[in-house]
Amino acid sequence: MSASIAVVAGVFDSFGAVWESDILRRALLEAAVVGAIGGAIGIHISLRRMAFTTMALTHATFPGIVLAAVLGVNLLAGSAIFGLALVLALAALGRVRQLDTSTTTGVLLAGGFALGVLLLSAQDGFAKDLTSFLVGSILTTTNAELAVTVIGGAVLALVLAVFSKELIFSAFDPVGAEAQGFSLGRLDLIVLLALEATLVLTIPSVGTLLSVSLLVGPATIARLWTDHLRRAMVIAPLIGAAFAMAGIVISHAADTAAGATIAVIIGLGFAVSLGLTSAPVRRFFGQLPRSRHHELRPAHEQPTTSPSARPVSPGKVSRHGLGRRAAQETELVR
Amino acid sequence: MHDLLIAPFELGFMQRALVISLIVGALGGIVGTYVVLRRIAFFADTLTHTVFPGVAIAFVLDGSLYVGALVAGLVSAVLFGLMSRRDALDDDAFMAIMLTTFFGFGVMVVSRITTYTNDLVVLLFGRVLTVSRDDIVVTSALGAIAVLMVAFAHKELTLRAFDPEGSMAQGYRPLLLDLWLNIAVTLVVVASLKAVGTVLVIALLVTPAATARLVTGSIRTMMAAAAAVGMAAGVVGLLISYHASVNHGIRLAAGPTIVSVLTLSFLVALGGVTVRRRLRRPAALVAA
Repeated sequence: MSASIAVVAGVFDSFGAVWESDILRRALLEAAVVGAIGGAIGIHISLRRMAFTTMALTHATFPGIVLAAVLGVNLLAGSAIFGLALVLALAALGRVRQLDTSTTTGVLLAGGFALGVLLLSAQDGFAKDLTSFLVGSILTTTNAELAVTVIGGAVLALVLAVFSKELIFSAFDPVGAEAQGFSLGRLDLIVLLALEATLVLTIPSVGTLLSVSLLVGPATIARLWTDHLRRAMVIAPLIGAAFAMAGIVISHAADTAAGATIAVIIGLGFAVSLGLTSAPVRRFFGQLPRSRHHELRPAHEQPTTSPSARPVSPGKVSRHGLGRRAAQETELVR
Repeated sequence: MHDLLIAPFELGFMQRALVISLIVGALGGIVGTYVVLRRIAFFADTLTHTVFPGVAIAFVLDGSLYVGALVAGLVSAVLFGLMSRRDALDDDAFMAIMLTTFFGFGVMVVSRITTYTNDLVVLLFGRVLTVSRDDIVVTSALGAIAVLMVAFAHKELTLRAFDPEGSMAQGYRPLLLDLWLNIAVTLVVVASLKAVGTVLVIALLVTPAATARLVTGSIRTMMAAAAAVGMAAGVVGLLISYHASVNHGIRLAAGPTIVSVLTLSFLVALGGVTVRRRLRRPAALVAA
């Protein structure tokens, strides 16, 4: 008991030490804001199964950043314009009949990233720039960068809030959404643009690795813990901010790279959540019926207990299929 | 002509670079065909990142980079094979988290060394111009195992790709078939480590096969075309990189140049296919 108090006191001490320092305080705030934005947009990424798209866009945005640096234009503006072209290219590649989106996404990722490395290899200071692009340099966040992240994040959150109903509806029930006159292409484009905007805002300070981690990790963890989408939308940004701040404190104490530490903590958080929400563990704590056979029965035959005792598996919600499960969740959201 | 095509390869390091580019180009095309047919491009990309902690630990402990990469790669291949059977989990999300966690761990390991930026770049992007004879031997051996593995299970892997239910109904175990292919892909990633580095291997595994898929519908033709595209891009990329650096004073890293040539050939094939379809459309209308 006293040992655990000592540990908690130690964490508070190091948090206090981190807060004292100007540099670390900015890093902490930047991490919290990026974590929260990542969690908020991450829910939509997770609903649309766009984790690979996220990965590809982070790498393919790279040449935009290098070009902006080489041409001496504003880094944000340069990479934003390049990112817009990229999103349109991705949307166009998605229409190639012979290839599935996973393959075209892979081609775009590799090609874009290679172009960036090629442009960079012709410059001086090759190794240093490349590393900071990959793992970021959150400790060198300036006040201006922090302000841009906060304002940009607020705008993005507003956009997502405005379109929230349509985005969720079309993710769960594309056929129904189209029948009601929504343009699926335009809704996909909104998510892609929001995603690319997030990346343009965050990559210069946190790097590609951490961007992907914060966009995918917190939302996936939140959806493991709850089937209720509104709850997941609140939990994900909180998890993102908390893990990101914990990562900064721990990396400071352990003297490791900050961005990489946050990514590893999110991974550990995911592994623990996966274990705790797995069927055997929930069965052990009596949240699920003892026998597996109950789960195989149709919904109306299952013993109804409290809402939290429903079977955990949300099922693979196909983007194009309309399962009963998806319909239920859509009802909840409305 | 001699100066353009032959002279660069009279240098020893260029000869070795040529040999290894041809090997990894052919390997990427052959195994990449299955990657494209099974739609596991993201898994290939994940692997290229998850081998990194193995490489980093081997680097710190002064061990063999290939062994480190192989162990980390096999761990992630098995982990993914097992986890992708869980319904509650989105495969892509799982891979993204595995990728960032493993890679982040690798960076943490390397970041404990004071001057890590240069080392990191070497680990990530390889140095095609500094490969040794030993590297060529290791690459050939690992590559040969990967090709034998997919050749041995060609029929089963194809069935699994096109008709998963039919494959299960015939009694094939999906987990074993997936693991088999995952391991073959891992071997290719590890084999290509020194030449193009961990991060750009994804281009060799996806782009040649995607290019070939655009122009043909037959698996055998696709495989041959993909290997040819991969090898040709290796030669052309090396030549461009050499002439740009030696004759024009522009430093173009060899690995990314090869990948850019690959991407260009994909775009040309895509343009060709699109134009061909446009040409055909009026005729179809007339026939109707």
